[in-house]
Amino acid sequence: MTSVRTFFKRYGWSYAFILPSLLTFAVFTLIPVLWSFIISFQKYSLARGGTWVNPFYANYLQSFTMLNGIFIDAIRNTIVYTIFTVSANILIGLILASLIQPLSNRLRTFFRAAYYLPAVTSALIIGLTWAYIFNAQWGFATYLTRALGLPPIRWLSDPNIALASITLSAVLTIPATAIVLFSAAMGSIPQEYYEAAELDGANPIQRWWNITVPLLKSTTLYLTVLYTIASFEVFERIYVMVPSGVGNSTQTIVTQIYANGFKEFDFGIASAQAFVLFAMIAVIAIFQFRALRSDVEY
Amino acid sequence: MHKKLIYSFIAIALVLALAACAAPATQPTSAPPTLAGAQPTTAAAQPTAAGAATAVPSPAPTVARTAKGGIRKSNSGYKGTLSLWVLGYTPGNAFANPFDNAVAQFMTDNPDIKVEITGYAPDDAGFAKLQTALQSGQGIDLLRLPSDRLPGFVADDLIEPIDDYLTDADKADILPNVLDVTRVKDGKAYAWPLWVVPMGMYLNKDVFAEANVELPPHDWTWDQFVDTAKKLTFKRANGDQVYGWAGFVDPGVINTWGLWMNQDPSVRPITKDGKYGFDTDLAKAGLQRFADLALVHKVTPPDFGSMKDADVKGGFINKSIAMIVDATGPAAQFKAAKVNFEIYPLPTYNGNKLTVGAVGLIAVAKQSDAVKRQAAMDLARYLTSAEVQEDVPPGSNVPTGFYLAPGARKSVKVVDPLDKFIPVLPDMWITPLVVDWAKFTRLFHPEYQNIIYGKEKPGEAMDKIAAEAAGYLGIK
Repeated sequence: MTSVRTFFKRYGWSYAFILPSLLTFAVFTLIPVLWSFIISFQKYSLARGGTWVNPFYANYLQSFTMLNGIFIDAIRNTIVYTIFTVSANILIGLILASLIQPLSNRLRTFFRAAYYLPAVTSALIIGLTWAYIFNAQWGFATYLTRALGLPPIRWLSDPNIALASITLSAVLTIPATAIVLFSAAMGSIPQEYYEAAELDGANPIQRWWNITVPLLKSTTLYLTVLYTIASFEVFERIYVMVPSGVGNSTQTIVTQIYANGFKEFDFGIASAQAFVLFAMIAVIAIFQFRALRSDVEY
Repeated sequence: MHKKLIYSFIAIALVLALAACAAPATQPTSAPPTLAGAQPTTAAAQPTAAGAATAVPSPAPTVARTAKGGIRKSNSGYKGTLSLWVLGYTPGNAFANPFDNAVAQFMTDNPDIKVEITGYAPDDAGFAKLQTALQSGQGIDLLRLPSDRLPGFVADDLIEPIDDYLTDADKADILPNVLDVTRVKDGKAYAWPLWVVPMGMYLNKDVFAEANVELPPHDWTWDQFVDTAKKLTFKRANGDQVYGWAGFVDPGVINTWGLWMNQDPSVRPITKDGKYGFDTDLAKAGLQRFADLALVHKVTPPDFGSMKDADVKGGFINKSIAMIVDATGPAAQFKAAKVNFEIYPLPTYNGNKLTVGAVGLIAVAKQSDAVKRQAAMDLARYLTSAEVQEDVPPGSNVPTGFYLAPGARKSVKVVDPLDKFIPVLPDMWITPLVVDWAKFTRLFHPEYQNIIYGKEKPGEAMDKIAAEAAGYLGIK
């Protein structure tokens, strides 16, 4: 009893202050996630509630076998999309941050703000804009290819290139978070390293590659994990740019979850697919942490 | 000086950024997806007259009304609110104005009843909203829905049967084959048929005139259709390309199916003898013939197969597409946009006439309150009657009056241009009402697209999905 009293005396107010956040987290995140996990083993209807499926993994198995294996196509498309967009976002972010780093404080601040504009723009608007750009009749991309004398390209209606077009639209949307975080991280690298390297005869590229890049490893890890999660969850861009699909070439994991959950109202299958997504992201994140873990301190 | 330069530079950049975020000066032909009249399931049951690129929506005018009695008056004794959910309703659009007018008349005749209308979009998000509200018992009393959605709701026991509320006059007036469409369980009728929505071919007469092509005969054949489409595929002097034909292809719609299912009467998802009919040689031949419009004859836009619905309609309105296949609703939209158009039946193949479509319905949600249920049934009866057509005649903001498609009652007169769909009604195939119809179309659609793109042959595409498709259609 005394220890309980002591505990509350010492930590009571701390827990009281974090209680609202904890309750919000529990009610709006934890409980729905746990409930979704339970539903993934049920045939669930809003009207009739849930009944356990037999065998217990039936929803998970059906996710992969139904509709001619569309979920497997979706996983493959998602992985391809993720590999290209994450690589491009990290590289572009790093390069642009490196280019603005030598500028004066004011210019650097201006460019950070300017590059951050896409991040505050609605993803829906960005998707719609790209859908117009890629329109095969009157889009800007079509105008460019026509001006170059190329035949019309079915950017969003050729199953062989539709996913590439969507990936291109993601790559060409400036990775705002990467630029801001890389830029901030670069600012904390001691200048002495660069001065010492310069004295040793290293050129700017060598200084960038041997000093800047390694010392940004922890930031790179964070951004890689962030962008991987975001890429795995791609939905609105595809829903807006190719709402009717292009064969199965533009299906992703989340478009399947959406279709099963909110077109078919098959919440059991949708929840099962959502946990497959969760498991994939978790495994990949673990590998990324191991590969990019930094033991460098400065 | 240095500071002034930087501040000027920042100011210019901000102005440019704001300008880039502003709406485009010229409206492209496609409206934003959420307003595009993206087809609901089977499209046919939604006449699809949502916000046109050129029409400016205007709300229904507030007019003084007097009570007219008859079936407008509910004798239920109910006092309270009825919640009516209407497919495609956005205040001021072509679906809202007729319903606003009709509901205003009903409330005039029933001062103790208030009817609140909630709109839901004819797309996935809209149907998700409806289904969630209905399944969670969120206060829907009546709903306007397409026929292919009915089996799922009835299976979940969310809809009231209407047999006990059909009067002798109703039974004599409602087209029996249309009422039978709603008998999805236990032989009971589960919704009030509102209208019958077949597909037709819209022809832009201005493009025909521009290309110096005569209008074909109404009983045109497939070869005549292809020949006409080829003549209407040309490049203007200013470099703009015109395409002969287009249609909307989406998992939720069947707009284009009539153009290849007419290969043979046996080409049906469920044949007369209860077999799966899309993997037969005749079905595959029909699909190849259809795909050749894009692959061989090249009369379709480059994006055909993935075009948005608004792009198809927009192309027809702005004369970049000469002919489109669509439901009845765009007739009002095109009339409002002053398009010079004609409506034809779909071309025949080997003498086979066919169009596809569905039925628009008004259903009453499950009610424990018997008085409220009666009031809801009375409203549904009124909204599907000839009286509502009398109360909402064709006018400036309701171009074809209340009915956006031929009504499901003999007493409902069909006005121009909807009367042009009357000849196709006898040859109309209605989508089968099976619970897993949406799953079947989700399975079929990617293969359909791949056939159109030339990525797969119809044989391999249809054989691959045959077993699973038959399962979804309930074929053993």
